Amino acid sequence: MLKVTGLETGYGRVQILRGLDMEVPQGRIVALLGGNGTGKSTMLRAVSGLIRVWNGQIEFNGERIDNKAPDQIVRRGLIQVTQGKDSYPSMTVEENLKVGAFTRSDKPGVARDLERVYDYFPVLKERRRQLAGTLSGGEVQMLVIGRGLMAAPKMMLLDEPSAALAPKVVLDIFANINRIARSGVTILVVEQNVRMALILASYAYIIRDGRILIEGDADDLMHDENVKMSFLGGTVADSSREYMS
Amino acid sequence: MTTTTKGITALLAAGLVTGLAATALAGEIRIGVTMRMVSENGQKYGQMVVDEFDMINKAGGINGHTLDVTLLNDECKSDKGVANANKLIFQEKIHLLVGSTCSSVSLPIVDVTAKTKVPQIIPHSTNEKITQKGSAWVFRVPVSGRYYAGVNAKYVGENIGKKIAYLCAADAASQNDCEAMQAQMKSQFGAEAAYVAQVQEKEVDFRTHMQKIKSAGVDGIMIAALAETMARALVQSYEAGIPASVNRIGSSSASNSPVPAIAGDAAKGVFFTAAYAAADDRPIARLFNEMVRQRYGIHAPDHDFSQAYDLVRIVEIALGNADLKLDSANLAADRTAIRDAIANVKGYQGLASGPISFCAEATPQCRDGNRTAVLIAYTKGGKDYVTEVLARVTMPVDFGLK
Amino acid sequence: MDFDFTSLFAFILFGLTIGVVYGIVALGISLIYSGLDIVHFAHGEIYMFGAFFGLVFSEHMGVPYPLAILSAMVCTGLLGIVIERVFYRRLTRAGGGYTVAGMGMIICGFGMSVVLQNIAYLSWGADAEPFPVDLGEPFQFGDISLPKSYGLTAVIALLLMAVLHFFLKKTKIGLAVRAVAANKDIAFLMGINVPLMISLIFGLACALAAAAGVLIGPMQSVQVEMGYLMLMKAFAAAVVGGFGSLPGAIVGGLLVGIFENLGAAYISPNHKDIYAFLLLILVLMVRPSGLFGVEVRVKA
Ligand SMILES: Nc1ncnc2c1ncn2[C@@H]1O[C@H](COP(=O)(O)OP(=O)(O)O)[C@@H](O)[C@H]1O
Ligand SMILES: [Mg+2]
Repeated sequence: MLKVTGLETGYGRVQILRGLDMEVPQGRIVALLGGNGTGKSTMLRAVSGLIRVWNGQIEFNGERIDNKAPDQIVRRGLIQVTQGKDSYPSMTVEENLKVGAFTRSDKPGVARDLERVYDYFPVLKERRRQLAGTLSGGEVQMLVIGRGLMAAPKMMLLDEPSAALAPKVVLDIFANINRIARSGVTILVVEQNVRMALILASYAYIIRDGRILIEGDADDLMHDENVKMSFLGGTVADSSREYMS
Repeated sequence: MTTTTKGITALLAAGLVTGLAATALAGEIRIGVTMRMVSENGQKYGQMVVDEFDMINKAGGINGHTLDVTLLNDECKSDKGVANANKLIFQEKIHLLVGSTCSSVSLPIVDVTAKTKVPQIIPHSTNEKITQKGSAWVFRVPVSGRYYAGVNAKYVGENIGKKIAYLCAADAASQNDCEAMQAQMKSQFGAEAAYVAQVQEKEVDFRTHMQKIKSAGVDGIMIAALAETMARALVQSYEAGIPASVNRIGSSSASNSPVPAIAGDAAKGVFFTAAYAAADDRPIARLFNEMVRQRYGIHAPDHDFSQAYDLVRIVEIALGNADLKLDSANLAADRTAIRDAIANVKGYQGLASGPISFCAEATPQCRDGNRTAVLIAYTKGGKDYVTEVLARVTMPVDFGLK
Repeated sequence: MDFDFTSLFAFILFGLTIGVVYGIVALGISLIYSGLDIVHFAHGEIYMFGAFFGLVFSEHMGVPYPLAILSAMVCTGLLGIVIERVFYRRLTRAGGGYTVAGMGMIICGFGMSVVLQNIAYLSWGADAEPFPVDLGEPFQFGDISLPKSYGLTAVIALLLMAVLHFFLKKTKIGLAVRAVAANKDIAFLMGINVPLMISLIFGLACALAAAAGVLIGPMQSVQVEMGYLMLMKAFAAAVVGGFGSLPGAIVGGLLVGIFENLGAAYISPNHKDIYAFLLLILVLMVRPSGLFGVEVRVKA
């Protein structure tokens, strides 16, 4: 469904991605793992059209989307949920969700999806008239995922949905990501929480220095001695260095 | 020497001689003009000065000399005015400077012309300080502010009342008019101001002032401001419900046509002092009005036009009486000769409300040429406004001097 | 100083009726600031252009006054969009981001203000033009008379604010505008055409200024330099209310209007304009972010 080949990009003159290849087949959950600052979010930004692609190709549903405008990419059904838990704090929860449905004009469909989001995350329904700025970290994460769902996406890019959340909340959110995937939405999840991500995903890529370092089935990676030692043990940043040496 | 070369030498010599003779007999009198040519009126009276000088040239010039006129716009900005004066004096090497419109521009130029010894004749500025600097090179065609304030106050105190409110805009000319009027009301009648408000030059909203003036119950309101601000204040004075029985007194810019044009009916009854009344029924004034209407499309010329016109005539008279060499060696001597010739103009009767006379001393008495002001009132507002002359007052020559 | 309640009422009324106009100009300035991160110093000239358009429609083309307001708003809005598209957007990174606002944008606003003044000067000249709108006899409240134009101004200004409020709160496009104002990247990721919305915001802000210009027109004459004083007052209003806050802009406008009239009435009649800035300093001393301002936004 999403195919990235030889992706090169960066900020200003600083190159971050140096020929990244990866693929996400339809209906699957794929994880992109790697230490802090390795370019995971940069790759998502390039896919979503927020930064220019210098070289390489991005294909979505068989169509080239590299360097298309972000709103054009969204209209093709590819939605990103960024890592900053960026809600619109001065809008209500329900307004936030409605912004997500901006590209759609089928009112009944939007209403149905709103109910679906409330079904996934009942706490959002309780708080739907509240300003998003008053929500807790976990609730905001639910809100931004819900907002992405409101666009009726074919595929979602989730950037570190577990960051800075309590384990119980993470579990709840991951269970819902799984439900979303089962409903037919393809998912690429970026994570530093490698263990959880490998449980959730069926396939995973590990990024380093702007390239894919390892890839494989999640189960295999989970039992791979190298991965186990370096990612599932100590801190991610240290272990990735150890892995290389 | 062959015949051919001889012939060429003779030819050259003859050419040289005729060339020299031509420059010696008739030269160019260089006149520099700097004025405020921002508004439509400003551009038109600037043009009129140039056109009038042109007509003198077409009629054969002055004593065979042609006038070479350079017109610059100073936009009523003193830095531009001084730059223009310097440019005209040092680059164009003018014999005579005409300018400027705004007092704030004329004042610093007086220092320039005094230092460079170039005669300067002023078409519009009324600030009394202009002639009090002691420059021997400056001449003022308009009525000095010291006379205006006296005439205005005398009329107001005797015919309207002594309880006057003042609305004074922040531009230099209006401040000057406003202060002079208050001082005159005090010195002539011992009357203190009933209400004074300083307002921004482009103030929009005068309602609070008008409300206070209304409750103060005054005999008259003096609005000292540039034309459009004055017009706005006039309109709002009626909107606030101040009755027409309270007289509206204008500052010198009340003579500018935007005042009746913008204020409309609110201009009716507003009176002001000026050096010329379009309602003047002397033949010369009627002819002038007609000429300005035809040439420049101005409905009724105000004193900015008449003074510019009088200035050209005075310059024409003075240049006619001056003995000019008009070569580069005699530039300073020619400038002095022109100055002395202007100082010799006495009792010029033109469009102005009274005769214009100058004399040699570098004093306000000698250099404020016109001391007769007319009091003019609008009897109808709008673009086709109508004025009437209330009074014509000649002030003593020393009036307003300490 | 003698005091009576009728006069006090009159001064407050005068303040309110001019304050709403400051308010709608301030609203535009705040809208642009929150939407584009530009402190728009050329907004006074936009207001002046609006007034001229209104004058051209109403006086020279004979369009009825209310329609002239609308037409002037449309024309000025379009003018604003062109200015934003052709000039401002080029000065920002990658076209349409407006994320590196700074000195450049401030200077560019000043430059635009000079350019617009000169264009207006060349098109209409420096002379003030009367803008008479005959609405009949003034309203009378006892001893106070209030021209109909002021009443109309207040009504139309409030109406515009209500329409804007409805637009922003109740319509999909309004929601998108707010989304763009709050976070452009996220708005982009929600499929919103951010450059288009930015143009819309700018056009809207300019249309509001135009409405103010046409409303003020009958109270004063229309003139090339009229924008400066309005810009100062509207800025004071926007800052008093909290820069970037829309309700703040309106409340700020009303406060500036009332404060300057009361100051002129009871403190000193001289230099009424000082009071706007006195109020500004007072408010900033107590609440540095203005009355409705949130804490200073930190850009990611
Ligand atoms: N807006 C930016 N401008 C310049 N450099 C950036 C920007 N965002 C991220 N970077 C740099 O790009 C690199 C990759 O960042 P990112 O993709 O955010 O990493 P992560 O894998 O943690 O998501 C880092 O070195 C970071 O400093
Ligand atoms: Mg990241």
